[in-house]
Amino acid sequence: MSHSAVASQDHGTEHSKFELFVQIAMLLAVITGIEIVTVYLPFSHTALVTILMLSSTVKFLFVIFIFMHLRWDKPFCTVLFFIGMVLAGFTMWALLQVFSAQASIPLSSL
Amino acid sequence: MSSVASGAIDHHHDSTTSTGISNKKLLMWIFLASDCMFFGCLISTHLIYRLHPPVGTPPASSIFSIELTSFSTFILLMSSLMMALAVNAIQKGNLKSMRASLVLTIICGLIFLGCQVFEFSEFVHVKHLTISNSILGTTFFTLTGTHGIHVLIGVIWLTTMLIYSYTGRLSEKDAIDVESMGLYWHFVDIVWIVIFTVVYLLEYI
Repeated sequence: MSHSAVASQDHGTEHSKFELFVQIAMLLAVITGIEIVTVYLPFSHTALVTILMLSSTVKFLFVIFIFMHLRWDKPFCTVLFFIGMVLAGFTMWALLQVFSAQASIPLSSL
Repeated sequence: MSSVASGAIDHHHDSTTSTGISNKKLLMWIFLASDCMFFGCLISTHLIYRLHPPVGTPPASSIFSIELTSFSTFILLMSSLMMALAVNAIQKGNLKSMRASLVLTIICGLIFLGCQVFEFSEFVHVKHLTISNSILGTTFFTLTGTHGIHVLIGVIWLTTMLIYSYTGRLSEKDAIDVESMGLYWHFVDIVWIVIFTVVYLLEYI
């Protein structure tokens, strides 16, 4: 490939990445707006919690795979980060199971 | 992974580990993985104890200001965009563009911190929710305060990098330093994404 062709391709990649970042940021802002509106809609508690969890998961994944470059990085980075995520998830689940709402009532208020 | 995409991230002049990932980047990913557990514990503690506000105080939904928090969230998202553009710029060797993006990221970080200080001040002086008068206050201030400290550290780090770029201690060869800093900043953003949903929005349901 000629030098000018490589330079042109680099410029194209840079431009497309810039556009991608801006598009993702706008998408994240829109999802956040939808989340805020959603909490005022007359849906069931379960539906609202599900929608909010799904939307924040989507935002989370967009940031880690696009902004944090996991999409273009070596898979080991993804594995490493998700080990931490899974451990954190299990820790949270265990804490929530052990200390249910009833068990968390302060002794002074019983 | 396409060759074009992989070529876009240039780890020039940086020692790599046997994994092929640079030392600094690997260290940052390990740190972020451990920080996930740290924030996981703080978030679950808040979820467990959020049902116990101070006696006689109104529900959390009337204490929180969704407008202010939404604004803070938007600002932090925009700071993430600026940080991504800064990393992209330094990887392409464009120091001038990186400086401009870093300045905007710092401004966004400072606005976020200002909003948090205002929010905390409002909670303490107007809503009478303090770190010591209830379990809700303790878990809320500990969680959001820890996140705020992370943002503050990020702002100091960003400012240092910006100064270094002018003194010559940071050049196009040090793209990996900016990239590692970017990872930290984006992590602060994703933690806030979770906090915004779990701590703030859930209270309005």
